[in-house]
Amino acid sequence: MVGLSHYLILGSLLFAISVVGIFLNRKNVIILLMAIELMLLAVNLNFIAFSHYLNDIAGQVFVFFILTVAAAESAIGLAILVVLFRNLRTINVDDLDSLKG
Amino acid sequence: MTFFGLHFQDIVFYTLATILLIAGLRVITTRNPVYAALYLVLAFFTAAGIWLLLEAEFLAIALVLVYVGAVMVLFLFVVMMLDINLDKLREGFWKALPIALPVGGLMAVEMVMIVGARNFGADVVPAPAAHPADYSNTAELGRVLYTDYLLPFELASVVLLVAIVAAIALTLRDRKDSKSMDPAKQVLVKKADRLRIVKMEAEVEKNDVVDTSAQADDKGAK
Amino acid sequence: MLENYFPILLFILVGLAVGVGPLILSKLVSPSRPDSAKNSPYECGFEAFEDARMKFDVRYYLVAILFILFDLEIAFLFPWAVVLQEIGLFGFLAMMVFLGVLVIGFIYEWMKGALEWD
Repeated sequence: MVGLSHYLILGSLLFAISVVGIFLNRKNVIILLMAIELMLLAVNLNFIAFSHYLNDIAGQVFVFFILTVAAAESAIGLAILVVLFRNLRTINVDDLDSLKG
Repeated sequence: MTFFGLHFQDIVFYTLATILLIAGLRVITTRNPVYAALYLVLAFFTAAGIWLLLEAEFLAIALVLVYVGAVMVLFLFVVMMLDINLDKLREGFWKALPIALPVGGLMAVEMVMIVGARNFGADVVPAPAAHPADYSNTAELGRVLYTDYLLPFELASVVLLVAIVAAIALTLRDRKDSKSMDPAKQVLVKKADRLRIVKMEAEVEKNDVVDTSAQADDKGAK
Repeated sequence: MLENYFPILLFILVGLAVGVGPLILSKLVSPSRPDSAKNSPYECGFEAFEDARMKFDVRYYLVAILFILFDLEIAFLFPWAVVLQEIGLFGFLAMMVFLGVLVIGFIYEWMKGALEWD
């Protein structure tokens, strides 16, 4: 029978995958944002698993707010990306070095 | 219902978990950002299935509606909007692997050791009692969301407001090359705005005579 | 409780089978003799003019972004509509404050002309 630990392990594996993704794709801002979305998904999975097994609805309320904040975050993040591309014609993280001094 | 000693629910869980992990892996390894976004859609969809297994029906539907329906469309828009040199962005992809894999593997091992069956197994945290047939997850969520969590709820609206204002302030710009017309202004135009009647002196015949004589003089000079 | 979702799971599986089945069948059964003329993209007999991945206009993006944010607002309305009888006037006023804040954003985008296409 699948227990709480199965869901938690699935969440942690997904989180580790997205951490590896951030290392591998550190030049491509779009994939970086997608890896962050995956991380948030893994965290939400944890919240919902605990909410189910501890019979406490607060976890789901928290997930709802995380969804809200994450949607706002990706909207603003992609808006910044669009403005960045409009001004510099690149989204390569290595080229964004005008603050290097 | 059991198959080969596995509950039917467990089979669904393992199937969905496998799809979720494979989709996650493809998101971070695929070359083309369009495919990455589509694999992310698959990951969200599968996660919604797992949330259904955990009886969080409302959030599962919200995940499909808000994420699959809207956020991923936004990602695809951005990917399609920018023409990017893909090979340039893949530089050093495999170079980072020797660091990424140990870090990711270490994190996974540490977390699995903590959340494994010893601390959170089925015998430590028993499965909760089944809900009655008329149980509504949406109502349960609503009962606390608008009362106990009133302040976070109102703050969520402020977060959304900030996102609206920021998105408009960042991306909206006036187009100089726009040749659009405003029908309302066209309808409101009066005759007086377009037509101007100018009083002018009447042309006099004598001027012509002077002109021709002047031309004749010119010819004579030549 | 979860047993009630079994028909939905069945529906998804049957839907997948109906979608994937013909694709696999046609891969297996149909004859396949590709050449370069057959594989080239068909554009009314001409050579292809440009890459299929043409750039989108930024304006689509702004519409999509505003759609997400108001989509989330609607998502907050659903549980509220279900329990409005129980939470009464307090819940009603809470939602009105929520909607009021978002209407400020709506007025802002209207005034800025973000909803106009050109």
